[in-house]
Amino acid sequence: MSEPQPQANKKDDTPRPISSWEWFGRGFRHAARLPMFVMALTFLGIGSLAYEANVSLGFALASTFLIWAGPAQVIFFGAVIQGLPLPAIALSVSLSSVRLLPMCVSLMPWLRRRDQGLGVALYTAHLIAVTGWVESIRRLPDMPEASRLPWFLGLVHGLVFAAAISTVAGYWLAAEVPREIAAGLLFVTPIYFTAALLRNVREPVDGMALAFGFALSPLLKPFVTAGFDLLAVGLIGGTAAFLGQRWLNARRAGGAS
Amino acid sequence: MMQLDQWSGGLWPYVALVLFGFLPSEVWRMLSVFIGRKINEDSPLLEWVRAVSTALLAGVVANIILTPSGALATVPLFARLGAMAFGLGVYAIIGKSVIGAVLAGEAAIIFFAWWFSP
Repeated sequence: MSEPQPQANKKDDTPRPISSWEWFGRGFRHAARLPMFVMALTFLGIGSLAYEANVSLGFALASTFLIWAGPAQVIFFGAVIQGLPLPAIALSVSLSSVRLLPMCVSLMPWLRRRDQGLGVALYTAHLIAVTGWVESIRRLPDMPEASRLPWFLGLVHGLVFAAAISTVAGYWLAAEVPREIAAGLLFVTPIYFTAALLRNVREPVDGMALAFGFALSPLLKPFVTAGFDLLAVGLIGGTAAFLGQRWLNARRAGGAS
Repeated sequence: MMQLDQWSGGLWPYVALVLFGFLPSEVWRMLSVFIGRKINEDSPLLEWVRAVSTALLAGVVANIILTPSGALATVPLFARLGAMAFGLGVYAIIGKSVIGAVLAGEAAIIFFAWWFSP
């Protein structure tokens, strides 16, 4: 991808030190540091899964652009391989993507602009997935307001770029990856997200949510219907962490007065 | 029943992708645009939603580590947890480096996968 040219902004008379395109470039470069490689490794797996599901390369690529959520794609192709009926596939995909709702809701206020059209908002929301969320949720609030949206768009387009190339590569390489490497590819997601979540910890609530989510997952699994278990983990673990933080705040305030 | 491979001709697979893959997933993002417009940046609701997202993501990670599929399932549980601990240990030691954690964890899991060849 070539560096886009800065565009003159007619409405703005005061010279801005950093243009939107420059923020876009910075977001893209941030993605190129590590997240793009993580995406690439993850989508190698998804590309090879699509190959096993017997769909065309164009279909595999379209699923990356359209669904744009790794777990939903894994579920989609896994279900196609198993020969599940399409309505059942749709339900599983939808359940796995419920997690996008809290992620988008927590991120969208930072990406919102006063005169933003619905189309831009929907496109921005479409690009939000786990990696983009984990990279930006703690960064956007500290950035200048005007830079947030272009930086984020640079970041996620970097991710889409890496994922698309990797979907194709994974589709082509599918039959030839040795077991050790295949295990390594599947391990990228857990190690990267855990480290990135740890990096995002700013307040006790973040650490508590991380710990509760991890601990609750095996505890709730036997009791909650498949597909809903993650939702239960998120709601119970997240609410407990949130209440824990409130309790700490109240105690701190009580101690100070 | 409708199945994808029975309809492998022409544009149908793409129509199926939109109807049964894209829309079921995208509906939550669309919904967030309308909910998100009403939520303020410093609202406690947002803090709660962020905590829910974090716990959810931690749950996803726990699922992959504890009940893996495919090639990762051929690595014993203690080795999966060991590789995780090693990666996070490196993360802590070399100054909160996510790249360091990923590289160290990957090296460990590939070594374990090779060591515990079935």
